[in-house]
Amino acid sequence: MSAAATTFMAGRMGLDRKRMRGIGLGAIPFLVLLGAWELNTFMGWLKPVYIPPLRAVVDAVFTLQEGCSALGILGMHESCLFTNHILSSLGRVGLGLVVGVPLGIGLGVLAGMSRRLSNAMEPVGVFANAISGIAWVPLAIVWFGVGWFTTLFILLNTVFWLVFFNTLLGVRSVPRTYEHSVLTLGGNRWHIISQVYIPGALPSIVTGVRMGIGFGWRALIAAEMIGGNTGLGFMIFVSANEYKVEEVFLGVLLIGIIWMVTDRIILVPLEKWTIERWGLVWRPS
Amino acid sequence: MREKLIVEGLSHHYPDEYTGMDIHALDNVNLKVTEGEFAAVVGPSGCGKTTLLNILAGLLPHKVGSVRVDGHEVKGPGPDRGVVFQEHAILPWRTVERNIGHGLEIQGLPAPERKRRVQEFVDLVGLTGFENRYPHELSGGMKQRVALARTLCANPVVMLMDEPFAAVDAQTRITLQEELNRIAIATRKTILFITHNVDEAAFLGDRCFIFTRRPGKLKATVKINLPRESRVWKNAVADPAFTGARDEILSLVREEVRDDDG
Amino acid sequence: MTTVSAPAAPARRDRKHPRLHRFLHQGGLELACVLLGGLALWSFLSHVVIPRPDRYLPSPGSVVFSSADMLWKGLLPDFVTNTVWRLLIGSGLGLGVGIPFGILLGLNRTVSDMFYPILNFFQSISGIALLPIVMIWWGTSEQTVIFVILYTVLFPISFNVLVGVRSIPRIYINALRTLGASRLQIARDVILPGALPSIATGARLGIGFGWRAVIAGEMLAGQRGLGWMIFTAQQVDLTAQVILGMTLIGIMWIVLDRYLLRPLEADTIQRWGLVQR
Repeated sequence: MSAAATTFMAGRMGLDRKRMRGIGLGAIPFLVLLGAWELNTFMGWLKPVYIPPLRAVVDAVFTLQEGCSALGILGMHESCLFTNHILSSLGRVGLGLVVGVPLGIGLGVLAGMSRRLSNAMEPVGVFANAISGIAWVPLAIVWFGVGWFTTLFILLNTVFWLVFFNTLLGVRSVPRTYEHSVLTLGGNRWHIISQVYIPGALPSIVTGVRMGIGFGWRALIAAEMIGGNTGLGFMIFVSANEYKVEEVFLGVLLIGIIWMVTDRIILVPLEKWTIERWGLVWRPS
Repeated sequence: MREKLIVEGLSHHYPDEYTGMDIHALDNVNLKVTEGEFAAVVGPSGCGKTTLLNILAGLLPHKVGSVRVDGHEVKGPGPDRGVVFQEHAILPWRTVERNIGHGLEIQGLPAPERKRRVQEFVDLVGLTGFENRYPHELSGGMKQRVALARTLCANPVVMLMDEPFAAVDAQTRITLQEELNRIAIATRKTILFITHNVDEAAFLGDRCFIFTRRPGKLKATVKINLPRESRVWKNAVADPAFTGARDEILSLVREEVRDDDG
Repeated sequence: MTTVSAPAAPARRDRKHPRLHRFLHQGGLELACVLLGGLALWSFLSHVVIPRPDRYLPSPGSVVFSSADMLWKGLLPDFVTNTVWRLLIGSGLGLGVGIPFGILLGLNRTVSDMFYPILNFFQSISGIALLPIVMIWWGTSEQTVIFVILYTVLFPISFNVLVGVRSIPRIYINALRTLGASRLQIARDVILPGALPSIATGARLGIGFGWRAVIAGEMLAGQRGLGWMIFTAQQVDLTAQVILGMTLIGIMWIVLDRYLLRPLEADTIQRWGLVQR
C-alpha cells in the first residue's frame, strides 16, 4: 500500500472515529432522558395522566393499529388509525409541494424578471409571509369548512409564499451580466429563464423550499388541530381531549422525528449541495 | 477591405437611476472598423465607453444615429456581435466546456459537432485539461480565457471587449494581452476593444480611438505602425513605433483627465 | 475640443423631485398599482361576485368599519396588548433561560458535542405540537400559552448560542490566558461578546417562532388576544373581524421583525461580529 493511500485510510478512520464519538456523546442526553422517563414511571413521581409510561406510548401504536393488516395500511383501511393519520398528513405535504413549489417558482421567476415589478412585489411577499400559516385558519374554515381542504390550503399558502418570495429574491440577485452574456450569444427569453434565472436562483429556491416545508409542517399540524378531521395534528388534539396522554406523546414525538429526518437527510444536504457545487456566494438574506 | 462595423452620428442620453437627472453620455460618435482590424477605444473613466459598447451589443437601444454591423442596423443583441464583459460573465453553474459551447448550443448545433468545435477553442486559449471544471475552481485569468473562448466559439462577425482584463492582476494581464494578440491574429477576428489602459490599447490595437470625457465623442484616431504579428511586451517597450504611439495616446487622454481634476 | 467644465456636470436637472423619481423608478408605481388593484379586486369580488359577502368575504369598507367599532369599544387595544405581553413574557423567559444555558453548554467542547443533537431534536418539535400535552397538564390557562412560547423560544436560542460560543476562535481565549485572565474575565471579555451575534440571530429566530406560537396558543388554549379574536370571530360568523385580525397580525409582525429584530441583529453582528461566519 502506498504512503498516500495509508494516509488516506488513516484520515478516513480518524473521521469515522470522530463521527462515532459524536454519535456516542450525542446519544447520552437522549438515554438520560429516557432513563429519567422510565424512572418517573417506576417511582410514580408524576402521574401517568401527565407523563405516560414509555411502555404505554409504544403500546399506543398497536392500540391505534388494531385489526390492521399490511395491505390495509396502503389502502388506508379504517382500522389503521395511526398510519392513516400519518399518511394523511404526509399526503397533504406531498400535494402541497407538488402544487405549491412549481407555482411559487413560476410566479417568482416572472415577478423577479422585472426589477421594478419585483421591487413592488417584495413588500407584498413580506406581508403575505407575515400572516401565512395559522393566522389563515379561521378564514380558511369559513371558506372551506373543517376538513381536508382547509388544512391543505394552510400548507399551500405557507409553502407558496416562501417559495415565491425566495425565488423572486434569488432571480433578482442573479447578476445582470449573465443575462447580457446569454443575450449576446443569441439567446432568447426562454434561454435566459431556463439557463440563467432558474439555475442562478436555485440556491435561493432550495432555501425557500426548505423553509416552506419547515414552516408548512408546523402550520399544518396547527391547522389539523383547529380545522382538520384527519392527520397527526388532529390525532394529538383529539387524544388530548380524551386524556389519552400516551397517544399524544406518540404523535408529538413522531411530528418531531418526521421533520428532523426530512430536514437533515433531504433538505440540508440538498441546500448545501446546490450552494457548494457551483461555489455560489451570493444569497438573499 | 470591407467595413464590418460602422457607427454614424451616434448620440445618447439617459436618466440617472437614482436622481433622475439627465446624463448626456455620447455625442455624435462616428467610427468605422474594417474586417480583421483590432480597434481600441481609450478614454477617461466615465466617458461613455461602456455605454458605447452596450449600444453596439444591442443591450441598450439607441435613438439618435446609426450602428451597422456587416451592413445590418443593430436593433437588439444578437450572435453576430460577441461580447467579452469586464466582470466574470461566464455562468457559474456550467462547466468550462459547457460555457464555451453555450453559443453553439443556443444555435442548436448537434452535440458531436459542438464538442469538436469546443475542443478546438479550449486548446486555442490553453485550457486543455480544465474542460470539466466549474468557474469557481478557476483563477481570474482562466475565467477570462473561458469568456474569450465562449465568444470566439460562437463565431461572431465582430467581437466587442469591455475592459476584459481590468479585474486580473498585472502579471496575468500581460500574459493575457499577448495571448489575445496571438488569438486575434490566428482567428482574424474584427475586434473593438474598450479600455482605459493606454499601454494596453497601444499594444493590442491597429488603430486607437481616443474619446473625450462626458459627453463622450471621438477626439482623435491614432494608428500604431507596428505589425501585430511581431508584438511581444519584451520588444514593444523598446520599439519607437510602440512608444511613440503610446505617448501620443497618453498625452491625448491626459488632456481629458486634467479637465476632470480642474 | 474640450468644452466641459468640471463640477457642473453635463447632466441637467430635468426632474424637480429626485426622491419621488427614485421611489417611482424603484417600483413604487407598481406597488401602488398592485395594492390598488388588489383592493379593487377584493371590493369587486365582495360586492358583485360572492353570494354572502358578510360571511365569506366582507368588503374592505366593512373591515375598516369593524376595526372602528372594536376600537370604540376598546376591545382591539386590549387584544393587542394581551398578545404583545404574552409574547414579551414568554420570550423574556425563553431568552433568560436559553442564553446562559447555551453559553454553559458551549464552553466545553465535549459538553457541546453531547447536547447538540438533543437541542436540535427539541428545536424540531414545534411548541405548537406540544400544546395538547401542556393542555393536559395545565388546561386552557395563561400558563399553558406562556409555556408554549417559552419552549418555542428556548431551543432556537440555546442552539444558536451553543454554536456561537463554540465557534469563537481559540486564539482569542488563549490570548487572554497568556495575559493571565481569570475564567470569569475570559467569559466577560471574549465569550459573551463573541456569542452576541449568535444570541441576536437566535433571538430573532426564536421570537419569530414564538410569535406564531402565541397566535396558535391563543386560538387553542382560549386566552384573550389576537389569535383568540380571529378564532372566536369565525365561530360567530364575524368574518370582517377575522380579516381585521389577520391584517393586524401581519402588520405587527412586520413592525417587530423589520424595524426591531432585524436592525438589532444587524447592528449586533456589525458591532460585535468578531466571529467570522
